[in-house]
Amino acid sequence: MKQSENPKFLGSEELLGWDEVNQGILLNSFVGEVENAAFLKQEERAYAETNSYTASVADWRVIKPVFNRDYCIDCQFCWVFCPDTAIIARDKKMLGIDYDHCKGCQICVEVCPTNPKSLLMFGEYASIEDSLEEWPEKKSEEE
Amino acid sequence: MSTIKKIKNLKELSTSNDRFEGAHLLCPGCAHSIIVRELMNCTDDNLVISSNTGCLEVSTAVYPYTSWDTSWIHIGFENAATSITGAEAMHKARKRKGTLKDNDAPVKFVAFGGDGSTFDIGFQYLSGAIERGHDFTYICLDNEVYANTGGQRSSATPIGSSTTTSPSGRISYGEKMMKKDIVAIMAAHGAPYVAQMSPNKWKDMLKKMQTALSTEGPVYLNAISACTTEWKFDPKDTIAVSDLATDSLVFPLYEIINGRELNITYRPKNVVPVKDYLGAQGRFKHLFRPEFKHILDEWQKNVDAQWDYLQKREEARV
Amino acid sequence: MAEKMDIQKTEVWDGNFAAAHALRQAQVDVVAAYPITPSTPIVEGYAQFLADGYVDGEFVMVESEHAAMSGCVGAAASGGRVATATSSQGFALMAEVLYQASGMRLPIILTVVNRALASPLNVRGDHSDMYLGRDSGWIQMDAFNAQEAYDLTLMAFKIGEDKAVRLPVMVHQDGFITSHTAQNINPMTDDDAYAFIGKYEPVNEMLDFSKPVTYGAQTEEDWHFEHKAKQHKAIIDSRPVIDKVFEDFEKKTGRKYSRVESYMMEDADVAIVALGTSVETARLVAKDLRENGGIKAGVVAPRVFRPFPFDNIRDIFANVKAIACLDRSSPGGALGALYNEVVGAMYTSDNKPLVTNYIYGLGGRDLTLDAIKKIYTELQENANSGKHSGKIQQFVGVRGPQLEFFD
Repeated sequence: MKQSENPKFLGSEELLGWDEVNQGILLNSFVGEVENAAFLKQEERAYAETNSYTASVADWRVIKPVFNRDYCIDCQFCWVFCPDTAIIARDKKMLGIDYDHCKGCQICVEVCPTNPKSLLMFGEYASIEDSLEEWPEKKSEEE
Repeated sequence: MSTIKKIKNLKELSTSNDRFEGAHLLCPGCAHSIIVRELMNCTDDNLVISSNTGCLEVSTAVYPYTSWDTSWIHIGFENAATSITGAEAMHKARKRKGTLKDNDAPVKFVAFGGDGSTFDIGFQYLSGAIERGHDFTYICLDNEVYANTGGQRSSATPIGSSTTTSPSGRISYGEKMMKKDIVAIMAAHGAPYVAQMSPNKWKDMLKKMQTALSTEGPVYLNAISACTTEWKFDPKDTIAVSDLATDSLVFPLYEIINGRELNITYRPKNVVPVKDYLGAQGRFKHLFRPEFKHILDEWQKNVDAQWDYLQKREEARV
Repeated sequence: MAEKMDIQKTEVWDGNFAAAHALRQAQVDVVAAYPITPSTPIVEGYAQFLADGYVDGEFVMVESEHAAMSGCVGAAASGGRVATATSSQGFALMAEVLYQASGMRLPIILTVVNRALASPLNVRGDHSDMYLGRDSGWIQMDAFNAQEAYDLTLMAFKIGEDKAVRLPVMVHQDGFITSHTAQNINPMTDDDAYAFIGKYEPVNEMLDFSKPVTYGAQTEEDWHFEHKAKQHKAIIDSRPVIDKVFEDFEKKTGRKYSRVESYMMEDADVAIVALGTSVETARLVAKDLRENGGIKAGVVAPRVFRPFPFDNIRDIFANVKAIACLDRSSPGGALGALYNEVVGAMYTSDNKPLVTNYIYGLGGRDLTLDAIKKIYTELQENANSGKHSGKIQQFVGVRGPQLEFFD
């Protein structure tokens, strides 16, 4: 699970003067030189302040997905179908949700194949512990 | 040396390090980013990407943020195909002259455009780029409408769809024209590879993307991008609606090699009636009024005819 | 590796071929172009150089001028030297991308062979296309003959690519009158020309994979103004760089260029302001009038009219009594561009000369020596009486009743 202490919500950036902005509206993805980002995990990259990775859209949500490790089979459907790169998968294992980037679209819940699902939506302010306690039982065939 | 990763299963694909970052401005549930993420994960090669003005561009590069971890360029609404061919030509020239920072670094050139910029305003540019034979891949993110500007019709808007410039109303059933067969048009250019793909079939889409990147020359990929905002369904149902699209054969998944060899790449176990696909989306709900039943019938007929045609071509190996 | 050409000390080239040679000598990496009269021979000449092995870059014949500039932008963002050529309708078609190129601060070189804008359709030379691109954010220079077309095209690379500038540059020349008139040219050798421009130094290039960059971001109302302000400042600040490049060029070739070319202005009472080949015609008349007409005539041309030489114009006209601004473009309901910009400069001068506007030469109509003589005579009348003898704006050289506007 990833969640920033002080999320940088969109629109909260310092407004620079004409003399401080990059010429040609250029935006850099990283700070300094980076050998092909494809070979670096996100946590290993030197993201520039102008990379949206450093920003948070947590304030878009009204409901959030909660991940239950007990039922997950690491199928990675949630990872491949997440539009917001908000499912953290490492070494073929599902680790959790990136709550800075999750918009609460619920696709991950819909595609999760386990019974009960390993991802379910709860209120934005519900605690993870309470949510896990409330996890439903396995659904029978008739349901 | 360029390497297109050998991916046996989804777990292997999941070890990719995403180069498309979150906190972009696309709607929750947008299929565009599912497709873009998979393109950027299907290879570890360096990428130079261009985008036409549209949802993708407007949501991933609003100053002061960029969601792209590879070089990316946006000029205008119509010219992503041309900007990427300019980049490809520069790469060729500099490689020949030995002025690149790393002369051997493998790179793939990819252009993204919505259906508006692909079928309409950018049609000339795409046609020119493919005709000139540049080594690049063009991916159309087809949500059948000018979504970025609030849902106006494009020439990819299918018959009966209600858009803001072809709205359904008391007397109108919405869009009057059937959509262009863009895949056939691009195949007729002589492109070595064209295909139609859909994000719900991630494996089929992955194969097509990898084929595209390893094909020398111009490639056109049409990706169905179910749009929760303009097709009017709940964001959580993006994959479910895409499933209906591919299983009803409204969006058949196939590829054409060198314009003459057509292969159907997905045959649904159970074909779903077109009505079910249309009924899942708000943009078609008026078609269920009794006075528009003939449009529903026309829809099923058209889809059946197209499927029949594709199968005949595949059988005849043309 | 491109083969070098054996250049004579004096060649006979028209403006188009001179520009094509300059592009060849600059060793451009990518030319993305579309043919249009009268600039077509530039790309044809370049294509022949390529076919004969004298060019090592890529030549992309795209499907429209808009695509040509789009391809140039994509190529320029990929870190190499880029150039193209166009005129008139093609220029108008690529207008959208001109703004995008300058906003992205990409040093692309565009040789514009000035031609009228339709309707009616006309392929001959006038400045309507030049005037269309005024606000596009490009540095713009004007050649009055074929030698200058060659010289300025070479210098354009050096100016635009300067790290302190990083802006695209246009070099204009009159359609047919310059572009298709063969003249004696003294070109530089291939080695000297390339050495003068220097190697291209990439800045923020997309092909440096260790530093991925995003080009062409969108700005909302909270960021747009800062970026455009920065761009305007950059164009204004390019003036000392242009001056230095002109200086360096004079050292190499002996040919002197200024951002404002003034002829016999030291003691002039009356002056004509013009661009293009008319400048040379006016100079002939001015010289003749001084010797035989008793008029202290001068000619001024804002050779680098973007960034507009506001202060230099004001200085040159410190003592003149009457000025005629000649505009070779249909002004569409206003006074001509040169008139407006010169008067703007003079408004802040202590000297308030009488300024008139002449619209001439549209669609390739000749501006004759006699017509210019008449203009100088009218200027002298204005100077003598201290007021406008006629209306402020006149059409000269058009058949029909006298067409003039504004008291």
